[in-house]
This record gives sequence, C-alpha cells and structure tokens, in this order.
Amino acid sequence: MRVFILIIAFIAVTSAKDFDYNLKAIQLAKNSYYIYGKEEYFSIQNGGDIANVSFIETNKSVILIDTGSSFAYGNQVKRLIEEKTKKPVKHIINTHHHSDHFLGNNAFKNATIYSDKFTAKEIKKNGELYIKNLVALLGETMKGTKIKNVDIILQNDNKDFDGYKLHFFYLKGHTKSDLVIYDKNTNILYASDLVFNNRALATIDANLKEWVNSLNLLKKIDYDICVPGHGKAFKDKTPLDLDIKYLNFLKTTLEYGNKNGLNVFEILDLKVPKEIKNFSMFEEEYERSIINLSNKQ
Amino acid sequence: MLRVLLLIIFLFASINLYAKNPISSPNFDDIRKEIIADEKYVFDDKNILIKVPKFADNPLQVPIFVDAKKIKNAKRLILFADFNPITKIIDMDLEKLLPIVSLNIKVAQETPIRALVLDKNGLWHIGSENIKSFGGGCSVGSLSSLNEELKKLLGKGKISVYKNNTTFKIKSSIFHPMETGLVFGNEEFYINKIRIKTDKNIVLSTIKTYSSISENPRFTFETKEETKNFILELHDTSGNEFLLSSKK
Ligand SMILES: [Zn+2]
Repeated sequence: MRVFILIIAFIAVTSAKDFDYNLKAIQLAKNSYYIYGKEEYFSIQNGGDIANVSFIETNKSVILIDTGSSFAYGNQVKRLIEEKTKKPVKHIINTHHHSDHFLGNNAFKNATIYSDKFTAKEIKKNGELYIKNLVALLGETMKGTKIKNVDIILQNDNKDFDGYKLHFFYLKGHTKSDLVIYDKNTNILYASDLVFNNRALATIDANLKEWVNSLNLLKKIDYDICVPGHGKAFKDKTPLDLDIKYLNFLKTTLEYGNKNGLNVFEILDLKVPKEIKNFSMFEEEYERSIINLSNKQ
Repeated sequence: MLRVLLLIIFLFASINLYAKNPISSPNFDDIRKEIIADEKYVFDDKNILIKVPKFADNPLQVPIFVDAKKIKNAKRLILFADFNPITKIIDMDLEKLLPIVSLNIKVAQETPIRALVLDKNGLWHIGSENIKSFGGGCSVGSLSSLNEELKKLLGKGKISVYKNNTTFKIKSSIFHPMETGLVFGNEEFYINKIRIKTDKNIVLSTIKTYSSISENPRFTFETKEETKNFILELHDTSGNEFLLSSKK
C-alpha cells in the first residue's frame, strides 16, 4: 500500500512538472542568437517547439523576436537568456499571428509586446481559440498559457529600442501581415515565416502571389545571415529561390488541376520536382496545402 | 472430382478474401442493417478505391474520392461514415452514372468510411478506408449561415464538364450552408436531393444527399452519356429548388 501511495505521489510530482524543451541558443553574432525549432508538426513529444525564436542583447536590455507555442516554452526561453545575460527581456516583437510564434508571450510579465496592426488585432480576436486548438494537440504542455496582448503597434520603418535600432519591413503572403526585421548592426535578417529553409511551406493563411512578391523583395537585401521562421539559419539566397519555386509550383499545379477538372487526390498524384520533394515535412504540408488551397478556389 | 475440388478452393479463397471487415467498428453492423437490411454483401477493397487525406486537418472540409469502376453495371452507390452523428453521406442511383464520386464531408472524429456498391446480381460490395482526424466537424455550426450575404448567394453555383475519352466528368459546386441542426439553435438546412438531367430531360440519376456533406458542397460525377448540356436540379430541406446548367 505504501508503495502504491509512493507511486501515485511520484506520478503527481512528475506530471506537475513543466514540459522540458531542452532549448539551446545558437550564436549568430556577438550578441545575437536564435533558438532552432524542430521541423515537425505540433505533437505531445515536441511540446509545440516547432518555430524559431531569436534574441538580441543590447546595452540595456534584450529584444526577443517571437515567443513560441506555450507559457512553458516562453519561461524556458527566459531562463536560457538569463544564462547568457543579466539584462532583462524588455522588448518582444511578434512577427505574425500564428500560434507557434506568440503563445509564450505571457511568460514575460514585464516586457512590452510589439507587432503590426493586423497581428495585434488577430491575437486579441482569436487568441483564445488558438490556445484551445493547441490544448487539443499538446494537452498538459499548454498549462498556464494565456493571451498577453500586443502593447504597441509598429508603424514606422525604424524603431529605437533603448538605443538599439532595428529596421522593419511590413510584408504579406504567408499571412495577411508578416513582419520582417532587419538588424543593420549585425547584418542579420529575421525573415519570420515568409522564409522556410528547406522545410515545406505552411500555406494555411497564404496568398501565393503576394508571398512570391515578398520573397523577391527580401532577395534584394544584402544580409550576412537570414533567420527563417522554420528551418536552420543560412547565409546565401538559395533557400529564398527554392521557396519561390515551391510557391510557383503550388500555383501552377492548382491551376492545371482546375483547368483539367482534377480532384485533390489526382492533383496530389502529379509529379513533383525533386528539390521540392526533398523539403522536410513535404508529405504532410503539401497535402495540406493542396486541400486547403483547392477549397478556396 | 477435380471440378468440385476447384470449386471448394475457389469458395474458400473468396470467403477468405471477403469475409473479414478490414476496419472493424462496433457501429458498422447496425448501420449496414439499417441501409441494406439482410441483403447479401462482401467486403471488397480490391474493386472499390477510396481516397482520403493522410490526415484530415480541417474536419469541416475533408475531401473523399470513391472509384468503383471495376464493378461493371453497378446499380447503386451509398457512402457512410461509422462514427459520424450523421452517418449517411450520399446515396446514388447509378442509372446512367458511373460508380465514381468525389465530394467534401465533415467528420466528428476519426472514423471508418464505407462505400456500398450494388452489382447487377444484387450483391453489395463494401469498400472501407479510415479517416484520421482530430474531428469536431459536425458539431460546429455552418460558417456561411452566419453570412449576411446568404440570401443573395444561396444556391449560386456552377458546373464544368471535362471530356476524357468516352466519359464526361461533371464537376459542380453550389453555395449552401448544409446546416446539420446538431448545434443548439441552428435548424437543419441542407440539400437533400440532386437530379442530374440532360437538356432533353433524360434523367441520368437521382441522388440523396445528407448534411454530413461540407458546406458549399462540391461534387464530381462521371457519365458516358453525351449531351450538349448537363443540368443539376438541387432540392433542399426548406423546399428550395436550384438549377445549375453546364451551358454557358
Ligand atoms: Zn506562420
């Protein structure tokens, strides 16, 4: 009987413990880091750690770009940053309204949250729904996750964060409103979900044509390093070209299917170029894209 | 003697081939009895192809495709999903249609989907496939019924016809909420009958449809009947009648 009670107590203690994300900060420049998110779909096993998060240490504080999928994730980002610096996370930028990018917000009680207008509106309007959906997928991991709304709407091209200047591009295509951050000090481009590096693109809220336009614009920036929303950080322009190729392929495939009266399964059976098929998560994202985008037609 | 032996082997092989339900579910037998009573049936995944997504992300719009062309002179095609609160999906008379259909459905949870095809000898062939989903598709109210434009858009739709050798593919879509009535406060309101005709008033098929079909439904049927103009006559539970014509 005592053993039994002990076991129950043990289970209670371990299940009350937060999900351990085992996060690592990858250094990009002297004071700039990113945390690489797994190239997977939401699962109990990964606790929703599927998107990249970046942070920049400035003279007085830390600027955090996106906060992940949960309160627990946000907390562990906070602890990871505390290992690197004593400076507080004072500024958080939410790049867009997808749940894997902003649901860690409420782990940062004293930070100011920035985003553009549309993202702020979406978080306020549909935030609770996003939490509900992720609870269904991630269960316990989502414990303590609450909406922390955007405090300041970004409107200008440049903003000074305690003496540290960042440049903003207000773009669209992955969603109706995607924020890209360019850091002139380090020549790093934080491209949000407009860029996926060799990882199949998520098109649930996408406008394919606008997305390609945005990527063509980003190609003109002479960055040293680009941090994508999903996939590893990289140096050249190849991933951008591949993303454009992927989006154009989706577009022409859907048009071909439409013209010839194909159903989604016949479209899915059409031949796919090798470099596109090689993207991680191709099988699942491609099917999802074809089904969703054909429903919109 | 040899003939008898061969017959026994054949019977044994065919029983083994068809005897077992490939996706067992506690609901299957009740639903089958309700639909085909005590008529003879075999499980036949060999001759019935059912395509579903690997994972149905959006439970409100799950595309499915059924192709039972291998069953010659099929008379009727019925689809149902074991675990949906509205199990029936579509019931097609195959007078002049091929046993092929694609459409989108709502799913409430992970469920087997079945295609029952009646052959010319009065035997039902049953194909099975499993739809993986987190579900929730049936208990959500229709989105378009909230649409203020509903009155203006209701019944608007189109038909496109694609010729492929000797068959014609009739692809159609129509604006309709397909309300299940399962959400408190929302009345049942869906298309429950479709008649496919030619411009000479020859009926190709009469089809019963159910509210497990997604809102703003899209159907693809196939036929070998050649005509200058295919006409779809759609009826809903409120007595509305909509006409769609392939003639531009
Ligand atoms: Zn996104």
